[in-house]
Amino acid sequence: MRKTLLVVLAAGASFLSAAPAWAHHAFAAEFDLDQPFKFKGTVTKMEWINPHAWIHVDVVGDDGKVTPWMIEAAAPNALLRRGWNKNSLPKGTEIIVEGYRAKDGANRGNGNIITFTDGRKLFVGSSAGDRGAPSK
Amino acid sequence: MRHLVCISALGVMAAMAFGQAPSGETKPAPATKSWNQPKTPWGDPDLQGTWTGDDCIGTPLQRPVKFGDRLYLTEQELAEREANREKTEHSDLEQVVAPGQAATIGGPEHWMERSRRPCKQTSLIVDPRDGRLPDILPEAKTRHVGAGAIVSDPKADSWEDFDYYIRCITRGVVGSILPVIYGNGQQIVQGKGFVTILQEMVHEARVIPLDGRPHAGPNIRSFMGDARGHWEGNTLVVETTNFVGNTTGVNGNGGGTPTSDALTLTERYTRTGPNEMRYELTVDDPKTFVRPYKVLLPLTEEPGYRNYEYACHEGNYGMFNSLSGARAKEKKAAAAAAAAKN
Repeated sequence: MRKTLLVVLAAGASFLSAAPAWAHHAFAAEFDLDQPFKFKGTVTKMEWINPHAWIHVDVVGDDGKVTPWMIEAAAPNALLRRGWNKNSLPKGTEIIVEGYRAKDGANRGNGNIITFTDGRKLFVGSSAGDRGAPSK
Repeated sequence: MRHLVCISALGVMAAMAFGQAPSGETKPAPATKSWNQPKTPWGDPDLQGTWTGDDCIGTPLQRPVKFGDRLYLTEQELAEREANREKTEHSDLEQVVAPGQAATIGGPEHWMERSRRPCKQTSLIVDPRDGRLPDILPEAKTRHVGAGAIVSDPKADSWEDFDYYIRCITRGVVGSILPVIYGNGQQIVQGKGFVTILQEMVHEARVIPLDGRPHAGPNIRSFMGDARGHWEGNTLVVETTNFVGNTTGVNGNGGGTPTSDALTLTERYTRTGPNEMRYELTVDDPKTFVRPYKVLLPLTEEPGYRNYEYACHEGNYGMFNSLSGARAKEKKAAAAAAAAKN
């Protein structure tokens, strides 16, 4: 399983390097490589907007203080085609988020790895749909 | 569809065996099953539906030099591409994170849409024969290029430092159809005397009159130009002029060297099957490229695939965050410089 995944990740990386265009905006302009984070948060709302959806979470610190964060997710177009919609992540869901914090130090980050508390990834799904001949 | 891929690949192999390199063909390949071009009630060829170039996501615009003049993959290369595609599809369905996987600064796999079949082409450019962009004229190289998404540390004094896509203005005509990692829908709607193409990202609608009226005058310009269409048999031919120069380029997402006000695009849309369309594009900008070049992009219609609104700027936090990040970086540098002085 691990070997397969490594192969897949390598294939994915080379696939990506061949792609001529990345997403809408420059991550290195927004997020800071020197400020990685990983925390558990409770979803308060999902902003289903373009160019990217944003997940709002409340994060409880060690001192019990609750801090709201915004986590950047995919474009709704991509999520919809994977079978997710604006109601798929209900308020109150606990998620674990790993990414990098905004350069200006605000409570915003990219959601590079997002899982439920049981370890399952969010937004799993295939946008490729049925392989083989289209059904028309 | 897999049947069609195998036949095409074998055809390529046969051609190569006889010493003929497959060329960037300009005639549509014959359909392998009998299919009649449907017509609209008023008798025009019916091209309606929502089409996408998703299958060529990841296929480069410019051909890697190792392929030389070869437009099509060999059967083995195609099989490798399909194997990678399948691996990616399986990876997308993995429920748990790989052990030891580290977070990166970009977006993860769920940001991306995927091809459903392997693209047969080594590049999207088919002419010149080497599949590479023609040389760019010296003056064109001096034009300001707004920072796109892959620039690692862009100047960000103002929104004007970013490209027209990041600013949520437009990706231009070509940038709105070349497939990228999501949002590749092209919805064609026809009426008597008109074809309209609604391009998913950044939801531009191109209204194309077919009645032979002349283009708008030279002082009337648009980021998407001014289009005029006519039928040649079952092929819709669209000529677009009257572009505003120095805005978008003609690479993916409208990147690359910004084109000039002399740009003319000629597109040919030919439906080749119930769910397949052949899209040929000629880019001619005598103020930017030393010669015109051609792109060939297969489009497909997929069950259930619809354009979704890409109301780009409504939530353009990325722009705000990029500018805010740059200001924070400046403050930090200024504070460090002041501290170093003392």
